[in-house]
Amino acid sequence: MIEVRNLTFSYGKDKQALHGLNFTVEDGEIFGFLGPNGSGKSTTQKILTGILKGHGGMVSLFGKDIKEVHTQEFFQNIGVLFEFPYLYANLSALDNLHYFSSFYPKEQLRDAKEVLEELEFKKDFLKKPVSSYSKGMRQRVSMARALISNPKLLFLDEPTSGLDPTGAVLFRRIIEKERQKGTTVFVTTHNMLDADLLCDRVAFISNGNIVALDTPRNLKEQNSNHSIAVDYLYQGRREEQMMEARSLKSGIPFPYDELLAIHSQEPTLEDIFIQYAGRRLS
Amino acid sequence: MKILFSLFKKDCRMMVSGKFFLVAFVSLLLYTLFIHFGYLNFMGDNANIYNVYLYDPAGAYTQTSPLIHSAASEEELDEALARDTSGGVGIHIKDGKTNIVLYAGTEKVDRHRADYALSLLHSGSGYQPETVGDNTPEMKQRREITCELLFIEIVAVGFLGIASVLFKEKQMGVIRVHAIMPFSMSLFVFSKVFLFLLTDLAFAALMTLLNVGLKETGGVLPAVLIQTGILSLIMALTGFGCTMLLKDFKQFSLAYLVIALFTATPVFLSANTAIKMDWISCHPFYHVYMGLKNAFFGMPVTDPVYYISAVCAIILLFVIAAAAFCKEMGKEG
Repeated sequence: MIEVRNLTFSYGKDKQALHGLNFTVEDGEIFGFLGPNGSGKSTTQKILTGILKGHGGMVSLFGKDIKEVHTQEFFQNIGVLFEFPYLYANLSALDNLHYFSSFYPKEQLRDAKEVLEELEFKKDFLKKPVSSYSKGMRQRVSMARALISNPKLLFLDEPTSGLDPTGAVLFRRIIEKERQKGTTVFVTTHNMLDADLLCDRVAFISNGNIVALDTPRNLKEQNSNHSIAVDYLYQGRREEQMMEARSLKSGIPFPYDELLAIHSQEPTLEDIFIQYAGRRLS
Repeated sequence: MKILFSLFKKDCRMMVSGKFFLVAFVSLLLYTLFIHFGYLNFMGDNANIYNVYLYDPAGAYTQTSPLIHSAASEEELDEALARDTSGGVGIHIKDGKTNIVLYAGTEKVDRHRADYALSLLHSGSGYQPETVGDNTPEMKQRREITCELLFIEIVAVGFLGIASVLFKEKQMGVIRVHAIMPFSMSLFVFSKVFLFLLTDLAFAALMTLLNVGLKETGGVLPAVLIQTGILSLIMALTGFGCTMLLKDFKQFSLAYLVIALFTATPVFLSANTAIKMDWISCHPFYHVYMGLKNAFFGMPVTDPVYYISAVCAIILLFVIAAAAFCKEMGKEG
């Protein structure tokens, strides 16, 4: 679906944002692009969506070079959720969706009310102006705008930003549902949980370079010391001991009265990112 | 067409919510009230009459106009002229010769003052000036002030109008969403400019109808609408480009002041006063203003160079506005 070879981009003479990125995204894959603010995530997404022009290297989408692909047909096949919920504040959710969907062929459109319902949008607000909505509600309308045209390729920039935990779970479920329909999803985020729970593969980007690219599981396994922490009670006292995971095979090698918990010491994606990039994500 | 209709409908709603039509309607009302009850009363028939003083020691002129004031001596004539604040003119008949005495103003006006004084002096001789047009002074004033206010409305108010609508969209960030919509970005610019053009044309038609009169409107309206269209497109596209290139309304206000001053002031000074500016023929808006003024007086511009230049300027501004729009879409959130 997406192939990027040696992608470079510069905002000015001394402001190189991307330094030769290489990655591919397969059809029906959820691909995570992780990095802190200013690392080049949004620039990459803007190049892929055709907003930014003048890049170096080769970028191909839907099997065609990006320079030939930015036609009306291309924009009909993509859906984009921006980092901020960009909506007409004086129009209602329905009016916004009707306006933006009016640019697509009727036969590819979903019903606006149905999409909002799927996103658990409050019915009372359907016809009220966006200016009266909470951040979470605006994000739901923005997501509905990205989904309403049944895109084959979905670009999501910080999809769960501004949502409460329930909303974030709902969004992850909807993204997963899109993938099951065959939609390819390109997620840019610095939210580790989203990346871990959603993405088939993730790329870590730092200062315009991809510093690691693999599945979340592989990244964690490769960077794990395979140790566990055991919480237990012994002679009335609560204690904790670290040990090799494989040593559990022969049982707990120290005296205890009661086992309380066993914690995996697997690193989080954030730990791994710091390891590769030398800085935190947020 | 469907896409253009969607954009147009949305733009109309934005302008309604921004109360643009209401502001335009109130402006129309205020201008009309000003013309009917303010300007025409203030600039009535007597407003341009200068006092004329005659010193005729030999009594050569016996049947002069009652508007002429007689002076008993040369000193009295000089004193009267020195005291007069309305641009008074003196006539001194000396050795059978008529001498005009006045405090110098500007060349064209001085000539006008002298002609007026002489016409009063000869009013008893059955002298009739040649009639070159059928506009009454009131009709001339109506046409002139309607033209000036229409020019101000389009240059200042219309220009601000497009900026206020666009800055709202810019602040809401929705301009960026249009970058990934499946249609040509030029349509976005076209829809907005077209809406402002229609509004300005409607405004110009109503303004002409209400202030020049139903009978005279028919004769001048097509030419007035053509000139309004040219000015409206230039201002709307300039406003569009400035809004895209400038950061916020504060910056725009400063640019607006400069543009409005550059556009309006020298044009008004040159076209409506006796102030001479040799370079004014290089000022593009002078030609547009004179085109509008001539249209109001039933003498539309026929020079093809003017229309070719206007079309070229509009195309160039459209390209700049569309490029600025594309640049804005690529900016960070």
